[in-house]
Amino acid sequence: MVYITEAHPSDVWQMQSNIKDNVVFASPKNEEERAFIAGACVRKLGIKFPSVLDEFGNSTERAYTGWPDRIYLIDAQGRVVYKSKPGPFGFLPDELSTALAKTVGPAKNNEATDPHGATQISDNQILIRENP
Amino acid sequence: MKWDRSKLRIKLSPTARKWLSVVAVVLVVAYVAFGSLVWWAMNQPPETFGRVMAKMPGPVPFLLFPFETFWMKARAGTLQVGSAAPDFSLFKLDKTERVQLSALNKQQPVVLVFGSYT
Repeated sequence: MVYITEAHPSDVWQMQSNIKDNVVFASPKNEEERAFIAGACVRKLGIKFPSVLDEFGNSTERAYTGWPDRIYLIDAQGRVVYKSKPGPFGFLPDELSTALAKTVGPAKNNEATDPHGATQISDNQILIRENP
Repeated sequence: MKWDRSKLRIKLSPTARKWLSVVAVVLVVAYVAFGSLVWWAMNQPPETFGRVMAKMPGPVPFLLFPFETFWMKARAGTLQVGSAAPDFSLFKLDKTERVQLSALNKQQPVVLVFGSYT
């Protein structure tokens, strides 16, 4: 995951659903605060795949137009082979599954899985969370 | 039973017609202005967009405008399928090391999931 600017920080655009879920964070004021929220995000959501922190100037988010959420698949030649539509409307993991099957082939039976439904793709470092 | 359509017509005085026209024009202008504000906000950085949306009355922009269609166009981005993926070098969350995309995907495809907690 590329952790980027929060979609609904409490001081900008608070969502009632986030208050209900006790997911309330103000906009981080520096990179350390951003890293803290990112860590909470990964821990609380049980994200298993490697995660990186976009720098405070949001350069990677801007390069990929990633906010508020979006999925890309980059092939081994460094080309974009799948780009989702912008989230939340366009954040569709099923589309990624289809693109992955075309790019790396169908999932193998001996792939490692964990109780949370994360599937490791061969010996890659990338873990994809499947739909519940 | 036959309908007499002429009886269904509401006869308005010239003054009433004039006021109705004015109200209609004001509503159209307000609708276009409000829609333009939403469109403008969508094309701003996330924080600006969020601050504008926070001041909107509840679900009004979602109900009055084709919000999703606007959003898909505003946030389409410039990268296309087939484009070279912009390289980056970002710290892992624990700050132990940097991850460079071009190094990571030399031998394997890479999935990038952009997102946040809220």
